[in-house]
Amino acid sequence: MNAKSQPGKDNFTRNLVIGVVLGVVLIMLVPTVISKQTKTSAKIPANVSAERGYGIVFNGDLKGVPVLDLYEDFQCPSCARFEGTQGQYLESLIADKKATVVFHTLSFIGTESIIAANAGACSADEGKFLALHKLLYQTQPQENSGAWTTEALIAAGGSVGIKSKAYKDCVTNGTYADWVTNVQASAAKADVNSTPTVFINGKQLDRNAYYDPALFAAAVERG
Amino acid sequence: MKTYMPWLGLLSRLVLGGVLLAAGLLKYQHLDKSQMAVRAYEMLPISVANFIGIVLPFAEIGMGLLLILGAATRISAALSALLMVIFVIGISQAWARGLSIDCGCFGGGGQVEPGTASYLPELLRDAGLAALGIYLFRFPQSKFALDKSPQSPNLEKGI
Repeated sequence: MNAKSQPGKDNFTRNLVIGVVLGVVLIMLVPTVISKQTKTSAKIPANVSAERGYGIVFNGDLKGVPVLDLYEDFQCPSCARFEGTQGQYLESLIADKKATVVFHTLSFIGTESIIAANAGACSADEGKFLALHKLLYQTQPQENSGAWTTEALIAAGGSVGIKSKAYKDCVTNGTYADWVTNVQASAAKADVNSTPTVFINGKQLDRNAYYDPALFAAAVERG
Repeated sequence: MKTYMPWLGLLSRLVLGGVLLAAGLLKYQHLDKSQMAVRAYEMLPISVANFIGIVLPFAEIGMGLLLILGAATRISAALSALLMVIFVIGISQAWARGLSIDCGCFGGGGQVEPGTASYLPELLRDAGLAALGIYLFRFPQSKFALDKSPQSPNLEKGI
């Protein structure tokens, strides 16, 4: 294999390898870029508006109350801690019509985040989002441990009183998978770089207030 | 050209290429997180950062593979060194501005609790990798590469 006697062969292999590597990378890149775009044709669950970053909205029609945007991932341990600390307060804000609350269920931790967010959307159609939301955080497994299967999420729905076939089909079919992508894409545009992230009237809340009920309530009341 | 240099070239290729390939693959599995990591540096407009968050893992995988195979070594090494210098700048500015972020070098990334960010080990690692890239750019001849060695055809007979 003298380089001088067979220069063409060596170069051919090298160029072929370079071509294949670059080709495969590009072929994989293009569909990935497209898949991260907002899908305007996505099926959208109840109480969601595209204008509010595809979040699930409570008290969306109230005027003159603070607007809370909560970005969380069902698999994120800090989000479970946040829900444990502020969940009851948030529910009281919603029930007493003291604030507009928008839940952005992100899905960056893994596939189980995607199916959990989808299940959350399915539960919104049944008017049980808050109940399922709370239960999923209370029973949160280790990240990407495989514990959250469609069966487990259907069972979780059952234990907060969702027995309908529609919910079952919705979870099984991943009806809102495209919507889940849209929620994530809109969070990317909103520059959300960790979860939970809370915006009050569009202003990002100081991190010190997340796990402190007094500080959090004060921030909400200030608006 | 010393006789040990092609071996040093091979080692540099495998280390730099291996690190890039691993980093790219880990990021590729969580592209949303990769976008988050780029945004957290607060250097680029959000839309540009989100685009880079997707493209970067692919670029790393491509460069890593080419370096490991020893194809287009010189240009891959130059691009890798440039990338490492950009990383060094990014991490340094985050450190200097007091941002609390995970570098997101091997997946992960985004904001972290204040006080838990560590920047120096990342800076040293990336500077070292940049040095490997510069070395390969200067001396691209290496053992078991697909590239031929145009400057010293007699030395590299057989491989």
